Formats: sequence, structure tokens, C-alpha cells
Amino acid sequence: MNLPSLRPMHPPRWPLALARMAMGLLWLGSLRWKLPPDFDGNGETSLRTWLELEVEHPFLSVYGELIESVVLPNFTLFAWLVFLSELGVGIALLVGAWTEVAAVVGLLMSINLGIGLLEVPGEWPWSYAMMAMWHGTLLVSGAGLLWGVDGWRKDRSTSTVSNASTAGPTGPKDTP
Amino acid sequence: MTSNSQPTNDAASGLGLAILRIALGVTVLATWWGNVGDDFYSADGLRGFFDWAFTPAEEGGNGSSLGIVESIIDGTVLQAPGLFGFLQTVMELLIGLGLLFGVFTRFFGFLALLFFGGLFLTYFGGEEWIWTYVILMAGALAVFLGRAGRTLGVDQVLAVRGPSSLRMLW
Repeated sequence: MNLPSLRPMHPPRWPLALARMAMGLLWLGSLRWKLPPDFDGNGETSLRTWLELEVEHPFLSVYGELIESVVLPNFTLFAWLVFLSELGVGIALLVGAWTEVAAVVGLLMSINLGIGLLEVPGEWPWSYAMMAMWHGTLLVSGAGLLWGVDGWRKDRSTSTVSNASTAGPTGPKDTP
Repeated sequence: MTSNSQPTNDAASGLGLAILRIALGVTVLATWWGNVGDDFYSADGLRGFFDWAFTPAEEGGNGSSLGIVESIIDGTVLQAPGLFGFLQTVMELLIGLGLLFGVFTRFFGFLALLFFGGLFLTYFGGEEWIWTYVILMAGALAVFLGRAGRTLGVDQVLAVRGPSSLRMLW
């Protein structure tokens, strides 16, 4: 079998662009139970309750202690951080702007959620593994280049460079 | 908004889809293994699961709300839960292996999409976090449409050496 002769197929990017938008909507949708200024759950399990569940059912005892001794006593500060991070990642993925940065932040937030909720009863840890994997995929696949601001920015910078190169050197010409 | 400088088909999306396929395969196989250990696929296991799914949340169930799905399950799966349990065991194992190794990826990706779609409808409206199934469906759809087995998968070989009449499978 002549494996080196086999070339991997280059698949379309649009399924990834659609998935990128779906992940953006996921983060934006999850804001509804952590809205400022009081960050209560609007009838659903609130952010504070989730944090308390993480303390009650820690996967890593040091993680539970960190939540209990640092995060919960400064709940408002951390709630704002969580809210703004999820809002930023959600918008960035939805519109495909700075997709790689958003994917890295989303990946870290997914891992954090996975570690925090792994032992909480009723949680399916593979949900967070799949979220982490999706963000890893968005990170490496250039998912913001199609139907996204990243693609528009790339087009603009490319056309600027090509305009500059076709215009030739500028500046005062030497007089003979 | 499409980048002109970057083609819409490229190696990066192939790698991304391959990561996705492998992760989906691992997820399906790990869940399958746990379910086998819990005797989930037995007649009693399946009956218990669907009872729980459609029992109201205040009575300790999931509280799924799609009555039509409940009717279909009552009329099909729960008429022969032992048979459906066996078929489910085999199907999930094959989906997991197919996705993990990238064999007949389009076929197993489509099967996975139907499977996750079924779970989505079963859980819909209940306590379960429904986005889990949206994430899974999006993954299966991307794997299916993107022919994700042709990067880091057996389908890469089949695409060159396999009979062209079966191309739709990979």
C-alpha cells in the first residue's frame, strides 16, 4: 500500500461555520441564568447554586476548596467575570470575530466546567468533553473565515497588500 | 463573508473534522461501555429509561414533553424492548468504532446523527440540558457532511482504493 500517495480530502468549511455559530448561541443562551446585577437564576438553577454544588461534590478537593474559599466569598466579582467571558465568547463565535481567541477561552471554560461538574449528580461529563472538543476543532479549523468577521478582515488585509504591491513604489522620484 | 485569500475547503478544516470524529467516537464508545456495565440495554433497562424520561420532573423523572415521541416509543421500542436493546447495543458499538477509526464515516456519521436526534427528541422539554444533544448532532452532521474519515482515517485509503459504487459510504 503506497500510503504517501494518499492525500487527505479537504472538506467544506461551512459545517464548521454553522457549528461555530451554534456554539456561540450555546454560550449566549446559558447567560439567562446568570444575568447581572444579581445573577439569580430567573427560575432556573442559579450560578451561585451551581458553584455550591461544585463545592458539595468536588472532583478535585482543591478545586472545591478554591470555590469555597475564594470564589463564593467574592461572588459578585467572579459572577461578572463569568458573565463577561461567556458573553464575549458567545458573540465572538456567533459573528466569527477573533475566533481562535474565543475558541481558546471557550476551551478553557469548558474544561473548567467539566472539572467543576464532573461529580455533580445528574451531570453527564461527556457534555463538557464534547464542548471542549468543539472549541479545539474551532481553534484549528479556521472556522471564522467563512461567514465571519475573520474572513472579512483577512480579505481586507489581503486586498490592501495586493493594492500596495500593484501600485508600485511611491514617494519622490529622483530628478535626472 | 467568505475569505477570498483562503479557500473554503482546506487542510485545517480536515484536521478539525478528524479531531471531532475521533472525539465523538470515544464519547460513544465510553458511554456504550458504561451502559453495558449498567445493563442499560436489557429489556428492563430500556423500559426503565423511557419511563424515567417521560415521568414529570416533580415526580423524579426527566419530564420530557413531546407526546408524539412517547407514543412512537410506546408503539415500537417498548413492544419489543429486548430486541431493540440488542439492536441498540450493536448499533452504538458500530457507530463508535466507525467514527473512531474513520471507517465508512459518512454512513456511521449519518447513523450517529439519527441516534443523537432521537435522544434530542426523547429528552426535549425536560430537565436534561438539551444543548448536549445539539452539540452531539452538530458534531455528527459536520462529520457526515465533511467526510471526516478522509483525514486520519481508514476512509482515506478507501477513497483511493475502494469501489466507486460505494463512495457514498466514505
